[in-house]
Amino acid sequence: MNFALSEDHVALRDSAASFLDKEVDLSPLLKHGATVADAGYDRMWGKIVDLGWPAMTIQEAYGGLGMDCTDLIMIVGEMGRTLAPSPLFGTLAGSWAIEAAGSEEQKERLLGAVAGGELKLALAVASPAGDLSDPGAGVNSKRADGGYVLNGCKGFVVDAASADTIVVGAESDQGNRFYLVDANAPGVSIEVLDWRDITRQVCSVSFNGAAATLLEGSTEGAWEWVRDRLYLVLAAESSAGIGVVLADAVDYAKQRTAFGKPIGAFQAIKHQLAEIVGQRELANAAVQYAAWAISSNAPDASKAVAMAQSYASDAYKAATYRNIQVFGAIGFTWEMKNHLYYKRARANSELLGSARDQREQVVRMLEREAA
Amino acid sequence: MDFNLPGENDPRRVEIRRWFEENPSPTYKQIADRGLAAANWPAPWGLGADPELQYIIEEEFVRAGIPTPHSINAIAVNQCGQSLLAYGTEAQRERFLPPALACDEIWCMLFSEPSGGSDVAAVRTTARREGDHYIINGQKIWNSAADYASVGVVVARTDPSVPKHKGLSQFLIDMKSPGITVNPIHDMTGEKPEYNEVFLDNVKVPADRLLGREGQGWQITVEQLQTERAGMTKPGAVWGFGPTARELVHGLIETGKIKDPQFRDEAARLYIEGELLRLLVYRGMSNRINGTPAGIEGNVGKMVASPHGQQISDLAKRTQGMAGLVRNPDVLPLPDKSYGLFSNWDYSFWFGPAATLGVGTQEILKNTVAEQVLGLPREVDSTALIAFADANKPNIQAAA
Repeated sequence: MNFALSEDHVALRDSAASFLDKEVDLSPLLKHGATVADAGYDRMWGKIVDLGWPAMTIQEAYGGLGMDCTDLIMIVGEMGRTLAPSPLFGTLAGSWAIEAAGSEEQKERLLGAVAGGELKLALAVASPAGDLSDPGAGVNSKRADGGYVLNGCKGFVVDAASADTIVVGAESDQGNRFYLVDANAPGVSIEVLDWRDITRQVCSVSFNGAAATLLEGSTEGAWEWVRDRLYLVLAAESSAGIGVVLADAVDYAKQRTAFGKPIGAFQAIKHQLAEIVGQRELANAAVQYAAWAISSNAPDASKAVAMAQSYASDAYKAATYRNIQVFGAIGFTWEMKNHLYYKRARANSELLGSARDQREQVVRMLEREAA
Repeated sequence: MDFNLPGENDPRRVEIRRWFEENPSPTYKQIADRGLAAANWPAPWGLGADPELQYIIEEEFVRAGIPTPHSINAIAVNQCGQSLLAYGTEAQRERFLPPALACDEIWCMLFSEPSGGSDVAAVRTTARREGDHYIINGQKIWNSAADYASVGVVVARTDPSVPKHKGLSQFLIDMKSPGITVNPIHDMTGEKPEYNEVFLDNVKVPADRLLGREGQGWQITVEQLQTERAGMTKPGAVWGFGPTARELVHGLIETGKIKDPQFRDEAARLYIEGELLRLLVYRGMSNRINGTPAGIEGNVGKMVASPHGQQISDLAKRTQGMAGLVRNPDVLPLPDKSYGLFSNWDYSFWFGPAATLGVGTQEILKNTVAEQVLGLPREVDSTALIAFADANKPNIQAAA
């Protein structure tokens, strides 16, 4: 038993932190009216590829670095801490879908291209209304000319406009399957949504007879396998986000004075911030355990990631709310970055379903264990 | 990073289990002689066990169905006995530790007073040196086990002319001494009293029962309270002990009450929080194995664990509706496991309000976390810098 991060993990995290502290510039987003189009969304991608981040969890056999999810969250946490606008989420999601549903040949070719920085991905699973319970909902596939064509619509696709290829969940006469669609192909239209979290690109994608390739190893459980990993990604972002909004609020509470003393001397402020310390510690433990459970194929890995995502997203919302409250009215202005975290927290608590959805998953697992 | 807990075939576990198999009903003296009473203490008292071995030993006590020495003699084994290792004399260790670890002499803590709960350092009980004795006078309250303990660990003021934190000392007193009166306190549970009040009326204590030096009492007390808090971070219903959210969920599944959508979501939320508290406990263990200073985790853990415990008992109660208002120890099915005092939800619930009062109120804990973890400004205590004897004079307090 050893809950401590290894020196390698710490080094990985520290190098990601210094890279992102230098590269991420949120200032264009702090001008009234800014949208994700002002975020420089693809600006850092070349450097991120040079650092090997898209290749981290891809197996060495497919040209990746063969690292595990604990390594990955060192990077993802720092992306969350800095709100780095970059399409890593979509590429991770698409890569995992290919790993779960692709044939050997497809994995070798596509994951090799991702690892080499030649391919950016997105994963389209939600229905136009945002339902994630059926990964094929909203789009159907038909055989045509030895391949497939897709028709229909997908909602809330992260990083679709940045992607070269979109992995799409669609209904077929074989059940739900995953397909590859060239993002620039005829019949594919991508609309960037006016998503409130302007540090993340979220799109709706419609398919009108778009040519598609079946991921030949597609099985019914593939989405759950991918979703578990995405839970971990969002939870790691949220957990790191709690740390930064707490630290910002504490710094402000030490500087800002009222009634002759720093506002951090008032118990009304102190007690609320102390609460966040407890939540930060639990979220952090949840994420590290979940990453270890996924990496080591622990039998409770699915439960661990659902627990981490539900806890961390609720706690992140509470922490960003408290952060704005401590800053007072200035924290409510567009020119401050507080709202960017508040919005990221809100988005992270919906993007893969609500905290309550994940709790329901946990209870069902407990009911199955008890049966 | 490795979250695996010591497994069934861990050689350390095998060795401990063999001892319990060879000694199926050991006396507590035998347990102490084997080093299992306070395994984390250094030899000859314990095994110098790291937290992982302690965890194994704890589990093997449960498996053998034997209540642990620290559940029987908590104050000696958990909170205060270790202070003798650091501050005691050789003679004190020889006199007090063997019977304490063998559970032949039960200890109690005599810290809190009627006039000051949260302000622990404002102790009014005095200890006056007279020749080779001290004479102790005062009143203590909220003392578990004082009605049957042999040894009392008392905090008393030896010097009222210095500020309150500086004039305190600790003594190990014989609870059978003339001048000690112990009265039970009937708490709101209406069950067998857990707490007592203790009157100390010219109690004569030999000078060699002073622990450490005069004036060292506050330092020793703070260490003991930290140790106590660290023990209260587990996910049980009351101060980390008793049934957990895991058991609540099992009970709700068994009775079908988990189908109620509101109970269901709340139970899941509490289950998750409880499992994460468990992880914090393991992380604390792991930090201690790695030699990372413990420091904050006891305070943070208790701050989360106390309301967590209240909420699980509350949910257990609410799932019973009106029937939960009838005194009944078997509200929901629980595994056949002994939790001592807190072996049922009913008692855990009615005892619940104490969880955010005892060993530092929730409010004091939050101050501590805000100040020590976040570095926010400390509370101003106008009595901390003046002689204790002057602290209760209203005009001086106002001026300070």
